[in-house]
Amino acid sequence: MTTLDPGLLVPVPAERRRPIGLLLVAIPVFLVGWLIIWPIISAVITTLWAQTPEGVEFSTATYQFFFSDSYSLSNLSVTLWTTGVCAILLLIICLPIALYLRFSDSKVASYVQGLAIFPMFVPSIILSFAFIRVLGPNGTVDLLANAVGLPKIRSPYLTPWGPVIGLVWDNIPLTVLILLSGLGNVSNQSIEAARDVGARKLQVLWYIILPRISNSILVAISFAVLGIFSSFTLPYVLGPAAPEMMGPFMQRTFRELFDPRNAITQAVVSFGFCIVFGLFYVRSVARNRAP
Amino acid sequence: MKRRTFMISAAGTLAGMAILPRMSFAAEGVVDIYFTSDQNVIDFWTNVVKPRFEAANSGVTLNLVDGGDGPGVAAIGDRALAALAGGADPQADLFEGFDSRVTVDGIAKGLYVDFEQAGLSNYSKVNPLALDIATNLPYRGSQVLLAYDTTKLDPANAPKTWPDLVAWIKANPGEFIYNRPNKGGSGGNFVRRAIYAANGNDPSKFTVENYTPEADAAMLTPAWDILKDLAPSLFEGGAYTSGNTQSLQLLGQSAVTMIPTWSDQALSAIEQGVLPETTGLVQLSDLGLPGGFTRLAVLSNGTNKDLALKLVDFLLSEEIQSAVLTELGGFPGVSWDYISPELRERFADIIPTTIPNFPSGDWEKAINDGWYRAVAPNVDPAS
Repeated sequence: MTTLDPGLLVPVPAERRRPIGLLLVAIPVFLVGWLIIWPIISAVITTLWAQTPEGVEFSTATYQFFFSDSYSLSNLSVTLWTTGVCAILLLIICLPIALYLRFSDSKVASYVQGLAIFPMFVPSIILSFAFIRVLGPNGTVDLLANAVGLPKIRSPYLTPWGPVIGLVWDNIPLTVLILLSGLGNVSNQSIEAARDVGARKLQVLWYIILPRISNSILVAISFAVLGIFSSFTLPYVLGPAAPEMMGPFMQRTFRELFDPRNAITQAVVSFGFCIVFGLFYVRSVARNRAP
Repeated sequence: MKRRTFMISAAGTLAGMAILPRMSFAAEGVVDIYFTSDQNVIDFWTNVVKPRFEAANSGVTLNLVDGGDGPGVAAIGDRALAALAGGADPQADLFEGFDSRVTVDGIAKGLYVDFEQAGLSNYSKVNPLALDIATNLPYRGSQVLLAYDTTKLDPANAPKTWPDLVAWIKANPGEFIYNRPNKGGSGGNFVRRAIYAANGNDPSKFTVENYTPEADAAMLTPAWDILKDLAPSLFEGGAYTSGNTQSLQLLGQSAVTMIPTWSDQALSAIEQGVLPETTGLVQLSDLGLPGGFTRLAVLSNGTNKDLALKLVDFLLSEEIQSAVLTELGGFPGVSWDYISPELRERFADIIPTTIPNFPSGDWEKAINDGWYRAVAPNVDPAS
């Protein structure tokens, strides 16, 4: 593999290059500022400065309420639990698939790839109802288990495991694709070299492959976590009534309790957790860029 | 290759033109109707109301527009109010599933037709239980009732009163489920029925105005106790589905024996085979499960106001009101005396004598919050 040396490109005079480059990034930067950064700042302001009859007043009442209310806290903890369990399961499921796809030359591999990408094209509301049919009470799994004389199992539907199974299935394609692109950086030569000096399969995985894709793993997990933390449809349809995940909780507070200030507070708290993973992602991208 | 490119771009342009929003101007003889209701209701209008009305009135066309939801049509109402002030054409004539109170100042400024003064020949037939204010005309209703599996529960033993229902649920643990009260009216009205039961089965104790935090504590807490007491006997020891449809699905999969459900959803589910023909329906006789009527509003400044009123009168005719029962699975908006005896016989089980209508506003908010805090977490989700 050869990469182009940036020095070989014809250098554009600096004074001409700069304004065009800035102009090109101006639109996305402006959109990000207007549609993402500004709403965040405005959300924080709305929750911290309350409108009172005497004027605007600084108050952390909604945050105090959130962190002293056991109901809100149990919603937050079930969200963190779901996100954590999903992230671990995704890694356990997707890494073997990605490794298989990277190192297999057989025809079956392309079918496996198609199957792994398939969930990307299934809308989550359809997935939810299919889930009830298949894994729900008296669903297909129950019928099959019954046919071979196995005992009836308690369905994960309407328990915290319902959204976990749905979310993992839904996030497999993205995770596999990101891991696969990371595995593209692992050259066959380095693996062959390791084998030549007697490395066993696990040693190859541990000392050669994993160190090279650690960045991709971090990116994949960040993406999955960001999506799962704020997911709505699957926890709403498949999860228990209480505790709720933050997505349905925010929506209910806003639309059914007509309480925008507490809903925004919940959103800011969620954002606080998500930004940690956002920073992981930014850091890993920045590290990749470094020479 | 060029020909292919041409074909592709030509086909694309045509397809694009076909989906372009067609500019519509209010025209003489075209009645513009905006819906807040779901697709099954618009289908009912497309397949039943529109062809029959157009056949009876040559040169008239009904333009059925899906307004999305309540706020969608409310925006059209606000524009019509602005048009009224400016003397302009509102480009709308009739709102379906709409409460004329929603438009601020709309009634006071005379935006909506007063049906008492409109001289409709069928107005006197309207069910007195359904009448609200003079600018809202009820034309179909729906009430929550209990649907059950007759292969597991003999119709003779189906519960007919609230105490019977509670006793049945406790005697048959795991066989009943209702949905979260804010996620669909079937569970929501089951919860409201429990609130009535905790307050002497007296719907008049709850009005839009009488909500106070003290009343909340005094009147809702006993209801939460009733529901908490039921929780261990529910499906999976206290699970709640997240919508009307999911409850129907569990009944259809024979996972439970009984659910509360909207009458129209249950009837059309049986019709479509989503629920088996062995599904039984029963209403409580001590006090029915709550429900409500869907109302119409006619704009007083619409170009086709007279035609819209003619249509409203037609909707209240026996022909359409019977179709509401048989085709839509709803209740008629007119009194049952104006429905043919055969139909009255067929739907005898679900004819309501009372249709309690729980107030919205602060009470609704209190239920949506209180149930989640008091009833739902009572069960350990991991158990």
